[in-house]
Amino acid sequence: MSGVLYLAWQYLAYNRWKTTILVGSIMLIIYLPVGLNVVVEQSGQHLNARAQATPLLVGAKGSPLELTLNTLYFSLDTPELTTFREATSIAESGLAEAIPMYVRFRSRSQPIIGTSFEYFAFRGLTLADGRMPALLGEAVLGATAAETLGVGVGDAVVSSPETAFDLAGIYPLKMNIVGVLEPSFTSDDNAIFVDVKTAWIIEGLGHGHQDLANPDASSAVLNRTADNIVANASLVQFNEITVDNIESFHFHGNLDGYPLTGVIAVPNDDKSGVILMGRYLDSEANNQNVRPRDVVEELLDTILTIQQFIVAAVFIVAVATIATAALVFLLSLRLRRREIDTIGKIGGGRWHVASMLLAEIVIVLVLGCVLAAGLTALTWRYGSAIIESVVMA
Amino acid sequence: MRTTIAPWLATLVVVAVLTACTREDSQNKATTVAGEANNSLTVVTVNYPLAYFAERILGDYGSVSFPAPADVDPAYWSPEPADITAYQQADLILLNGAGYAAWVANVTLPRSRLIDTTIAVRDRLIPIESDVTHTHGPTGDHSHGGTAFTTWLDFDLAAAQATAVADAIVAARSEHEAEFRAAFDGLAADLEALDADLMAVAEALGDQPVVFSHPVYQYLERRYNLQAISVHWEPDELPEEAQWRELQSVLQRHPAKIMIWEAEPLGETRRRLAELGVQSVVFSPGGNRPATGDWLDYMKAGIASLRSQ
Repeated sequence: MSGVLYLAWQYLAYNRWKTTILVGSIMLIIYLPVGLNVVVEQSGQHLNARAQATPLLVGAKGSPLELTLNTLYFSLDTPELTTFREATSIAESGLAEAIPMYVRFRSRSQPIIGTSFEYFAFRGLTLADGRMPALLGEAVLGATAAETLGVGVGDAVVSSPETAFDLAGIYPLKMNIVGVLEPSFTSDDNAIFVDVKTAWIIEGLGHGHQDLANPDASSAVLNRTADNIVANASLVQFNEITVDNIESFHFHGNLDGYPLTGVIAVPNDDKSGVILMGRYLDSEANNQNVRPRDVVEELLDTILTIQQFIVAAVFIVAVATIATAALVFLLSLRLRRREIDTIGKIGGGRWHVASMLLAEIVIVLVLGCVLAAGLTALTWRYGSAIIESVVMA
Repeated sequence: MRTTIAPWLATLVVVAVLTACTREDSQNKATTVAGEANNSLTVVTVNYPLAYFAERILGDYGSVSFPAPADVDPAYWSPEPADITAYQQADLILLNGAGYAAWVANVTLPRSRLIDTTIAVRDRLIPIESDVTHTHGPTGDHSHGGTAFTTWLDFDLAAAQATAVADAIVAARSEHEAEFRAAFDGLAADLEALDADLMAVAEALGDQPVVFSHPVYQYLERRYNLQAISVHWEPDELPEEAQWRELQSVLQRHPAKIMIWEAEPLGETRRRLAELGVQSVVFSPGGNRPATGDWLDYMKAGIASLRSQ
């Protein structure tokens, strides 16, 4: 028996390219449907868990999917902007707690999340080190963000410009890191959290500058009248908020008109949730109210449909592959006629030849299955993160 | 031998059972105390008047803290991050509104726990226009003017603020609503009495001109119809000659006989004012916690000083 296996193995090793192609084909026809199923199932669980934990989202009318992906998973696409007035209105209604979200800026690859203090309690985020943000310009990092950026408490992160060629844009804001969160194994791990007002400062809606009435700022004054001072372009605007200059930071106009990408609404109870949703049914309303779990279920349904198409395609490919493999095997029998005759002449019976050919097939099948299992295991470990990053992009 | 050991064993079993029961009882008590402690309300305020209102209403059902040091004006105090952490951990954060404690705009606080005690009376707040506007960038002209913030010196507004405090406390711990409402009724009666007293004093003053040493009495002036002009004098600093000249100029068109101070002025200042025929009266706004007494004492003392003129 060992002689048969030895001969089979030697044959496969000698014809390594043919063997590799056969093993690869077997591996792919097993792995593709199984791995796809793993990815879809795992991503579905992952996306669903966060969507289930977020009762309602309010944002400007537009794509509910964009609003959900941006607010829950901090995707790159910025939805239509709503205003802070919406968060105030929800809070004042007494129906729900309103958590403002402004997910628009990045520090290198990490999203900067402008939100309120309530977000941390809502998501159950706790500190691994440091403290929660207290002053404007302070940031708390998710565990992965801190690791990726190689920073910790006492260091700083700088906001990235929205476009590389925005020469007249706002100076990047340097934000002091005052805390790092415990890993939560969600999108929060990748994020940089700041107060929503800090996000508005990144956008340039709030700023700190020299006191124009102060003689030290005279070089920055273009024109001074009894009741108005006009500054020139040399006016020093601060790009870092410190204890010394924090009092000079201010916002012009009513904060209610300032932008948000969305608002997480946490209703007091089911009835409050229904009443709140009813407020957005008016087609004239500028804002929409979505239930993230419905949006994610719809997304998963789409993914499931695509998966079914892919599985059907893979099945057809699998039949073709098996037919091709069978053809290759039968053709190789013709080519190996002399080899089989030689085995017969040196005393090998029909049974030996059949066993050797069967062993070759079994070895190819086993190798293909083992490799497919390995790939499935890798998919189990990393597939969800990969698919999430693809969906987010 | 067996008969000798048996009573001891029985005694041991009884002692063990009793000990277990006692331990369980003490554990239950500890749990109850912890439960009560967890149920107590923590309130943090941005000034002393609000702390006083909250202390009166909350009674023993929670704790009220006001973390500003005793020697600062809370309106212009900037808390350290550790103080802000204390605010973040409170169940209720009582704000004065009207732009008081500007630091609130530059810190991260839980919005759902912020109570603006003048939100219901915002149409009665007094705006202060800045003299100078400035222009930079695309936002156009703007000024950094604000709102007069010593709202509680109008005792009717103070009562509205106390109502907001009571409503917030009741909403947070509705199980003690009856006790909170009863305590609030007592506070409201005190505020009403203060209002009536000061109204009577103001009526007695009539059209008599008054000078305020600092522009923090806008609500007192409006509510009690005082004919007043404000200067910028500090009680612990001797005014400069220019300030004396400015006062003399003011007195020519506004012949005041009374200057109302936030705190006791220096003896020299009091003497020179007396030479000009102006008597110094202390009516502290009571923004910070006093060394002795409480906010009500502050207000009663201020009214008594005015009445004595």
